[in-house]
Amino acid sequence: MASTFFAKLKGLFGRIPRWVYVTAAIVLAALFPVLNSFDIVTTAWIRVGVLSLLFVMLALGLNIVMGETGLLNLGYIAFFAFGAYTTALLSSPKFELQWPFVVLLVLSTLVAMAAGFVIGLPTLRLRGDYLAIVTLAFGEIVRLTIINLQPLTNGPNGITGIYPPQPLGEAITTWLEGLGLPEAITNWFVIDKPNEYYYLVLACVLVTALLLSNLKNSRVGRAWNALREDELAAVSAGITASRAKLLSVVLSAGIAGFAGSLYAFYSNVISPESFLFMQSVIVVCMVVLGGMGSIPGVILGAIVLQALPQIIREAAGAARSEFEVYRMLIFGIIIVVMVIFRPEGLLPDKVWRREVHEEDPRELEMTRQSLFDLEEGQKDLEV
Amino acid sequence: MDTILELQGVSMSFGGLKAVDGLSFDVKKNEIVSVIGPNGSGKTTTFNVISGLYEPDSGDILLKGESVAGLRPDQVHDKGISRTFQSLRLFADMTVLDNVLVGMHSNTNGGLVASMLRLPSVRREEKQMRARAQEILAMFPGRFSGPRQSQPAFSLSYANRRRLEIARALASEPALLLLDEPVAGMNPMESQEVMEQIKNLRDAGHTILMIEHDMHVVEGVSDRVIAMDHGVKIAEGTYEQVANDPRVVEAYLGKRGADTAS
Repeated sequence: MASTFFAKLKGLFGRIPRWVYVTAAIVLAALFPVLNSFDIVTTAWIRVGVLSLLFVMLALGLNIVMGETGLLNLGYIAFFAFGAYTTALLSSPKFELQWPFVVLLVLSTLVAMAAGFVIGLPTLRLRGDYLAIVTLAFGEIVRLTIINLQPLTNGPNGITGIYPPQPLGEAITTWLEGLGLPEAITNWFVIDKPNEYYYLVLACVLVTALLLSNLKNSRVGRAWNALREDELAAVSAGITASRAKLLSVVLSAGIAGFAGSLYAFYSNVISPESFLFMQSVIVVCMVVLGGMGSIPGVILGAIVLQALPQIIREAAGAARSEFEVYRMLIFGIIIVVMVIFRPEGLLPDKVWRREVHEEDPRELEMTRQSLFDLEEGQKDLEV
Repeated sequence: MDTILELQGVSMSFGGLKAVDGLSFDVKKNEIVSVIGPNGSGKTTTFNVISGLYEPDSGDILLKGESVAGLRPDQVHDKGISRTFQSLRLFADMTVLDNVLVGMHSNTNGGLVASMLRLPSVRREEKQMRARAQEILAMFPGRFSGPRQSQPAFSLSYANRRRLEIARALASEPALLLLDEPVAGMNPMESQEVMEQIKNLRDAGHTILMIEHDMHVVEGVSDRVIAMDHGVKIAEGTYEQVANDPRVVEAYLGKRGADTAS
């Protein structure tokens, strides 16, 4: 009974075209800060929103290597750190520098990409467990280097007082401010309020998601999927494995670097504590929970895993500190339950669902049957 | 006639085992050449050496006069040698159409940035690729029509998976097509059909080197047959010449068997 009910429900929702979901999600996301203007949600929730969106971007980036190319990266947060520190060093009182916002976004991306290239080149001949171990070590090395490179990074104290971004650049901003424009416009010249950050990061996430979804059905995306499915067949079909893999690692590192730059601007202070191994694991969990290879899935996974602790913390009230202790335990339980009961993730990608359920003979038989019916049907038409 | 492929004294050993020993032969344009021989005679190793999966210990492999020995498999593919595998190696979870599109990787050039931005050049190329894929899949009439193209490759019947592998190999418009046992595991009717399709490919201008155990197929399609045993070429010629060669009979039946047969 229940199963037919769910099947019907699924059929009903399946008939709604995809763009409706996408538009609805974007509108909901865009309206979230409006709730804050009417004091329906507190500013703390907007902050949760900004962090969730930053993690959405990280998860989207990691999904390229994990979901599309099928390489495990357990040190992904290191690229985030590269981006964050690049921005922090060049836009803070530490060296009395304030480079333009857009330049720093691009530069942070490039620095992280270079790091991806350097770590990717020697390690991509490794597979599976070995690659996981090397990337894990890489993440830790980067973090320990940050802690010990005191003159540059201030070690465990981190870098403080990062200047808020001026999207148009300092000179134009000063000039425009002289024109006496209304406050509603001038507010956006310097992004320093949670709502403004929220929209900035949301816009970046939307652009990233759009660009990555374009890749999915392209020559490059198909090459990555082919490598994941059968490397020998892929190279025999003309795909240069080392180049395609390196490309995916470098691109995913770049996205993490970009997110890291935004994070540095937003959080004002960065320290090595933000780039723990646990953070890498959490991003991996986001991708697995949402559905490897699925862009909507990964976005949902990141929002759930980033927002969920906050919701529980609010609900816990007085028992807040107690909850902190159990946070990782709850994460672990969620992942174990998911892997057992829904290994393809919350909103799975079609190809991955097949991969996970490959050995399910019933599904295979059903597909065969439907093809058989199709064939029979065609014969009927011919006669 | 132009020579497409030429092997010059190619040798390949694994430890002490000489899998291929001083093998030389050539394949001319628009020809179907079959390689036969008992199990373990070095046929698949020869294919793996040609397609770049192994580097030969000695000897040279020339494609249209240009050496391809020692290149990586993807480089060999770029030069124009495309292959299928004895044990099917499709991208099983990807769709039928995507499998063929992956086959076009080396003669298309949509890059990362252009693909992300979906530039007009990329859109045009993608459209051309899909049109070309339809042409290739249409070479197997009725097998990959309509909705079946968006089904995952693993859902196809065994014979259709073999056909899809040939389609994927054809997608790059290779100068030479290597087919490793194209009718293995098929029933007589299916192999008959694939045989006709292989002949059609030659008539369409393709050059084919294939390994096959099914002697009806070998007899039916081959312009020339090469027999191998213990990594050495033991006979070459038309099907009749090779089939009646005493060394070939001996290789298959053993010395006593060959004596009884003759």
